[in-house]
Amino acid sequence: MTAPPILLAWIPFVQPIPLPSAARLWMFLPLAACVALVYRATRAYTARELPLATVRTFINIVVGMSLIAILAYAVDEGVRRFWSG
Amino acid sequence: MSAKRGPDVTTRMLGAGILAWLLPGAGHYALGQRGLAAVFFAAITFAYGTGLAIGGVRDSVNPKTNHWLFLAEIGVGSYTLAGFAGSAYVMRTAPDDVNLMSFYPGSDVAQIYLAVGGLLNLLAILDALARAQTGGLPVFHHELVRGTAAERGAP
Repeated sequence: MTAPPILLAWIPFVQPIPLPSAARLWMFLPLAACVALVYRATRAYTARELPLATVRTFINIVVGMSLIAILAYAVDEGVRRFWSG
Repeated sequence: MSAKRGPDVTTRMLGAGILAWLLPGAGHYALGQRGLAAVFFAAITFAYGTGLAIGGVRDSVNPKTNHWLFLAEIGVGSYTLAGFAGSAYVMRTAPDDVNLMSFYPGSDVAQIYLAVGGLLNLLAILDALARAQTGGLPVFHHELVRGTAAERGAP
C-alpha cells in the first residue's frame, strides 16, 4: 500500500496544516490545558502536585471563557435586535 | 576547611534565565527540578509546535509580516530563531508559493497558539529566576521575606 502523493510531499512546519472552520472553536481546549498546566507549574513545589490543580484551573478557565463568550454573544444579539432596527 | 559551594545566586539566576529562554524547561532542569522541567517543555513545545504546524514558518515567524506576533514568540528563543531562519529561507526560495501560506481560520489559530507559547515561556523564565533565587521555591526572595515577617507578626 502506498501513501497518497500529497502526504509524501508534505513538509511539517513549512507547509501549513489546513484547519477546518469547525475545528477553530475546539482548538481552544488544548490551549487552555497548556495555560492551566504552565500556570500551576509556576505555583507548584513539585510536579507531583500538578494533576489535580491543573484540572481545577482548566475547568475554571473553560467555565470563565464560556461565560464571557455567552455574555458577548448576548450583547451582540441585543445590539443587533434593538439598535440596528 | 573549605566546603564545596555552588555558584552564587546571580550566576544561578543568569544561567537559569538564559537556559529557560533558549529551551522551555531547561532552566528548571539546570536547577534540578526535572519533573517541572518536563512539564514546562511539554506544554510550551506543544503550544508553539501546534501553532507552527498550522501556520507554517513562512508567515508565522516573520517580523516583517507581523512584528507584534514575533515579539510574543521571541519568548521561546531557540524555536523562534530556528523558525525565523526557516521563514527567511522560504521567502528567499519560494516567496509566492501559495501552498506555504496559511489562511483563515488556520492563520488565526496559529497566531494565538504561537503567541501564547512565547508568553507562557516568559512565565516559565520568571519562575526559573525565582527558583534560582530562593533555592527551588516558586516565589521571589522578597515574597519569602514578607511571608516570614507576617508569620512573626511584624507589620
